[in-house]
Amino acid sequence: MTTTAASPEAGAQEALPSRPRRGAGLLRHVNLPGIAFLAVLVVLWELVVRGGLLDFQFLPAPTEVLDGAQSLIEGGELWSAVLHTALVAVGGWILASTLGAVVGIALGLSPALWRWTASSIELLRSFPSITFVPLAVLLLGFSYKMELVVVIYASQWPVLVNTMDGVRGVSPGLRDVTRTLGMSRLRSLRTVILPAAASKMLVGLRLGLNLSLILAVAAEIVGNPQGLGYELVFEQQALQPGRMFAYFIAIGLLGMLLNALFQLAVRWLMPGVIAATDRKG
Amino acid sequence: MSTPNALVTPGPAADPADAAGQVAPRPSRRRGKPRTGGIPPLRGLLPLVVLLALWQLFGAEASPYFPRPSSWVDGVQRLQDNGELIPALGATTRSLLVALTIATLVGSVIGIAVGASRTIDRMLGPTLEFFRSTPSSAMVPIAVLVLGFTDSMKTSVTVIAALWPILLNARASMRELNPTYLDVAAMLHMSLARRIRTIILPGVLSAILLGIRVAAPITLIVTLLVEIVTGIPGLGALLSRAQQNYQSAQVYGLLVLIGLLALLVNAVVAGIESWVLRYRPPS
Amino acid sequence: MTSSTVSHGSTEAEPLAFECANLSVDVPADKQSRRLLDDLTFSIRQGEIISVIGTSGAGKTTLMRVLGGLMPVTPDSTALAAGEPIKGPPPRVLMVFQDYANSLLPWRTVKKNVALGLETTLRGRELDERIDEALSLVGLQHRAGEYPWKLSGGMQQRVQIARALALRPACLLMDEPFGALDAMTKSGLQDELLRLQEQTGATIVFITHDVEEAIYLGDRVIVLGGIPGRIEHILDVDLPRPRDQITTRENPEFLRLRHAAYESVLSSEQGSAAGGAGAGTGDR
Repeated sequence: MTTTAASPEAGAQEALPSRPRRGAGLLRHVNLPGIAFLAVLVVLWELVVRGGLLDFQFLPAPTEVLDGAQSLIEGGELWSAVLHTALVAVGGWILASTLGAVVGIALGLSPALWRWTASSIELLRSFPSITFVPLAVLLLGFSYKMELVVVIYASQWPVLVNTMDGVRGVSPGLRDVTRTLGMSRLRSLRTVILPAAASKMLVGLRLGLNLSLILAVAAEIVGNPQGLGYELVFEQQALQPGRMFAYFIAIGLLGMLLNALFQLAVRWLMPGVIAATDRKG
Repeated sequence: MSTPNALVTPGPAADPADAAGQVAPRPSRRRGKPRTGGIPPLRGLLPLVVLLALWQLFGAEASPYFPRPSSWVDGVQRLQDNGELIPALGATTRSLLVALTIATLVGSVIGIAVGASRTIDRMLGPTLEFFRSTPSSAMVPIAVLVLGFTDSMKTSVTVIAALWPILLNARASMRELNPTYLDVAAMLHMSLARRIRTIILPGVLSAILLGIRVAAPITLIVTLLVEIVTGIPGLGALLSRAQQNYQSAQVYGLLVLIGLLALLVNAVVAGIESWVLRYRPPS
Repeated sequence: MTSSTVSHGSTEAEPLAFECANLSVDVPADKQSRRLLDDLTFSIRQGEIISVIGTSGAGKTTLMRVLGGLMPVTPDSTALAAGEPIKGPPPRVLMVFQDYANSLLPWRTVKKNVALGLETTLRGRELDERIDEALSLVGLQHRAGEYPWKLSGGMQQRVQIARALALRPACLLMDEPFGALDAMTKSGLQDELLRLQEQTGATIVFITHDVEEAIYLGDRVIVLGGIPGRIEHILDVDLPRPRDQITTRENPEFLRLRHAAYESVLSSEQGSAAGGAGAGTGDR
């Protein structure tokens, strides 16, 4: 049960053609067909709802969504909700990643430690994180703390496991190199082992980030009266589809934004690694 | 061997309703004691066993927060006694299977379409990307509002969350079709039908199967998520209700039960993976 | 150094396996087109073994793809296979690709891979016999039920050859088939190939960058060079058959040919390094 998992966005990256086409010029960088399609969808959506073709009582037309968004932005609720969810997701992810990375490195470096804990980790890890939300609510009530704990619990698994596998998987050849060069433990870790494990670690980090957003929203829906998830449900219960869809789109955009920022950060900090991350595991 | 590089294969029963899919270079086959991969030694279960044992010894029977493991069984037993357990299990499993089937069909069709045609790929790109990166948890309230508290709502949300690994794999297998295969096909004067049947289809099918392997755990997770969040019948609903009634032993018990179900699902799909990959080298 | 004497092979009456005149290949690139091969003229008799050597980029693979019908030529080129213009893979001409790992279907066993070209026309016993025959020719009959990943590189290459042989081709086009193999496997396969050719009488066009292999195997050696690729020389290999790894390679004629071939290749290399349409100094 290897945990190699590479960038989920690998598929998305492929969506944009990378080879310049003849005579394409600037246009090739802008995904015209994609945008056009999206625009057509939105227009269709508007027409279908206005025209009463699709009879869902609470399916709003795009214009309603825009109105909803506008009112949310003006009222300031959108930003505070986005801020809350983003902070919990990213903050929790950072904490989880630190924890997961440290434990993962320790387990990766020590075969003995690994032998005595790996099965437990595999077992625990397969329990869906979402099922821990009710438990968290039971133990911590409806609170910010509950949400944070859930996020941290869930997102440290991929980091831990991928780091562990990444460090363990550093080829014996490289380890031999550190030995013949007489490197200290710390130095070999810093200069050889971690860089070698980097692509797998990055995959884990990325999965953790996605997970943290998913669980933050889920926790907000179930039990913490703050944030985008909560607002989403609030508007649902208040039968305000326009505002609700606005929140929904905000969540989607937040997801895309976080992923994009992650990619950017990796590209900036570790230029060589991106290719490996996207293609392999 | 030309395995599509971007194949989505099972990573960690990567829990996440994050169908974003784990893309692996080579799937592993369990053999002996490789350096990574393979089933970790059973003695690694010791920490858990010790934890449970200590808990059992020092925990209180009726603690509101940390009831003893033995009480968990009672908690679940109660549900069995009043006849709710099996139907809930049935509801969750049924949901899982239906959603997985639909996700496979939809994911395959779209995946093949975008894989085969660059134009379609570009066209659908941003739209697909949006749905892929939107947390499935966020889709639940939307679906509830639009579709109501129904089983079809549960299925719809689960399908949308779970079709990505299948879609991405189908796409990748079409994109990464080895050009040498096509040369071979030309050289052997293969008709289009034969080309599709002997070269394209087997590759696509195995990619899709691997996608199912990843999608299955996801369907379970999202099904549970919907049940927890909305109370629609299923194991998740039982879990949520237990929490609301402060039945902590029942909560833990159900958690373990669900965990076992997850392990079962993983085991079954791992079996599928091994079978599909029997012609591939171990990593 | 061209010759008109018939070395190894058939009588004059049969049509030429390949006949090319003024053969050029252009590919589109950015705003214009790029010429890969320029004005090649040569012919290949049936039953001949022709080796093709040359610098990288000189177009050896391109030439092979042309003969295999996978690459179009310019309108004013002449490219005939068995007397007919090449417009797609010519009948009974088969290719053995350099990338053997990616030319076998991984989800098919060795046996089913060999069957790939036959299964539409043969069934049951007849099919099995043909497959066995082909696998025996390359010595892999005992591995028939395995999947390709279990086989070594040399074996995978042999499976590819078996797949081609099962179809009893008139002509085999081989693109650096032994390039990635170690020396021992290589020499074994070379002799196996010669033996097969002796048995089946097939025409073989063999691309390699191993000059000695080219001479060892061939009846004639075509040296391509320059960018775009042109024929630098065509060397006649007047060495006795059957060839032998030890004695043939010590033959003074072998050494002379080796000298000439290297000289030709190296000079064309300098030619292109010096900037361009490397014109060789040899005859055509």
